[in-house]
Amino acid sequence: MDLIVFYLFATLAVIAALGVVALRNPVHAALCLAVVFISLAALYVLLSAPFVAAAQVMIYAGAILILFVFVIMLLSPGVDQGAGALKWQRPLAAVFGLALAVELILVLASAVLPAARGQYTPERLAQIGDVQAIGALLFTDFLLPFEITSLLLLVAMVGVIVLAKKRVRS
Amino acid sequence: MPDAQTLTLISPELLLSIFGLLILLVDVIWREKSQSALPWLAILGFALALAATLYIWGSNISLFAGMYMVDMFSLFFKVVASLAGILITLVSIDYLRQRTPYRGEFFAIFTFSILAMMLVASSASLLMIYLSIEFLSYTSYLLTGFLREDKKSNEAAIKYFLYGAVTSAVMLYGLSLLYGVTGSLNLTDIAAAFSATVDSTVRMIALVSTMLVLAGLGFKISLVPFHQWAPDAYEGAPTPVTAFLSVGPKAVGFAALLRVALTALPQWVLPAPPPAPVKEIPLVLAVVSIITMTLGNLIALRQTNVKRLLAYSSIAQAGYMLIGVVAVNLTGNSPFSGLNGILIYLFAYLFTNLGAFICVIAIENATGIVEIPEYAGLVKRAPLVAALFVIFFLSLAGIPPTVGFIGKFFVFGAALREGWLYLAAIGVINSVISVFYYFAVVRQAFFEAPKDATPIRLAPLVTLSLVVSAALVLAFAIYPQPLLNLAAWSMGMVK
Repeated sequence: MDLIVFYLFATLAVIAALGVVALRNPVHAALCLAVVFISLAALYVLLSAPFVAAAQVMIYAGAILILFVFVIMLLSPGVDQGAGALKWQRPLAAVFGLALAVELILVLASAVLPAARGQYTPERLAQIGDVQAIGALLFTDFLLPFEITSLLLLVAMVGVIVLAKKRVRS
Repeated sequence: MPDAQTLTLISPELLLSIFGLLILLVDVIWREKSQSALPWLAILGFALALAATLYIWGSNISLFAGMYMVDMFSLFFKVVASLAGILITLVSIDYLRQRTPYRGEFFAIFTFSILAMMLVASSASLLMIYLSIEFLSYTSYLLTGFLREDKKSNEAAIKYFLYGAVTSAVMLYGLSLLYGVTGSLNLTDIAAAFSATVDSTVRMIALVSTMLVLAGLGFKISLVPFHQWAPDAYEGAPTPVTAFLSVGPKAVGFAALLRVALTALPQWVLPAPPPAPVKEIPLVLAVVSIITMTLGNLIALRQTNVKRLLAYSSIAQAGYMLIGVVAVNLTGNSPFSGLNGILIYLFAYLFTNLGAFICVIAIENATGIVEIPEYAGLVKRAPLVAALFVIFFLSLAGIPPTVGFIGKFFVFGAALREGWLYLAAIGVINSVISVFYYFAVVRQAFFEAPKDATPIRLAPLVTLSLVVSAALVLAFAIYPQPLLNLAAWSMGMVK
């Protein structure tokens, strides 16, 4: 059962991802991106990580995608008419992309991934709670990255305001 | 809540965070009145961070569940970062005065970018490496595009950002592969997982993921073929920021590369005893190094803008430094381990390249000149700058008696010791080529008649930082012992 759901959503994610890069109309591409995000959320549920799935839907499918759609609306770029001056890049990009894909598939298919299983098994998560486990880790083992992220976001915010706001001081 | 010992060990980072926030706050509260005090606040922060780094000098401990290493290797880079911070802030003061009203934000973001450098140097987990490199990237993009009214600055920032976003996505892909294979974010655990498996296909995964990671780090270091952003970003960015871009991200890019290579992948990087063939990763790096130094030098020959010239020169310099990574061998008690070569080289390059850029800033501030033909007769207009240009270019080319020579000596020496004869030979040939373009500038400055003979007045702070960096370039060449000790101690990271 799990496997069927996995293949269903994995296929959906791959097809939608192809749509993001292949579709000419930016609004269609953005909608495909929404499908990718939601399929990924379904995969997280399968991996017994409902909190990550919910965050994925809220942050990516909600906030970030809406932002994309807003930018598309404000700029109204219209339908992409082909590559123009960069036409020669398309076949080249396709060749290199395929080469990388083949390489990765070969490597990943031939290797037995020896990764160790972590301590947070589904049974253990059911016992202590998914959100509790993430919260505890965030403020113990992952305290430093957590704090650095807050600084990073602050700097990004200040910088964007400096670069984008109307000139008031002179 | 981390205990007092942990807080002491991360005090340089804490101090810089506090001062960065303080600058923002003071700027908001006192506005115009505080403008002239803000850079000094930043300098005070860097000086205190430097003092804190020297206070915990000699520590060797891993913090935050193995994510963060406070060892001599990272402390070395923290010293480098705080010194670069002080010098660049000194020369930014005059440069920014006429060019942007947002100086408070500039110094705050700059303080955070030095903080990000320190974080990269200490990172010992894939998560921390990615996060701190992104931190450094964001601040670099912002600083590059800081001159909003200047089209070139905008163009530079956009190119830098698009390029950086793509390479960091590629790097993230490589990091996720490494995590997927080994089940750990921690570099030492990754090494343990690799050495525990006998499956030969794991070698391929290590190779592929390392190449993907190399794309992201190669972008920071400006290795060919990830170098195209460098000339445009260097030309368009405010010149003090260019000076920062040419040393800061490059130095810590090497720090991250060395940390990943030596802690997580020693099995795939360090050479086996002689009969074994050369491993793939050093071989790839050797090819990249050859292409990087040759291409950088050949294109530099044709540049007429001094900022672009220094951009291509810094690409070539990255190629020389990479020789040290190729030739790393930590067995035995040789003075040429490769690792110490890179550290000495980075230290030498930092002051030399900063010095060269400060010369450019001194001239640009007073006259707006950045084209090499307009440097004609510089020796009559600004004799100090012209003379120091010669010292810095001698050092960049690796000619004694400058500290650049000592760096090249230890890097090429390591290549010879490890049997990379052709690599060392190509490095030497490239150094000779580089003399041509460095001394094209010197020839203009010394032997051409000036079109406009009015003397150029230098701002006192710029003169001060010029003299300091020139003094360091010469002093460490004449008495290199502290540098040799420093680099030897920093090698304690790998046992």
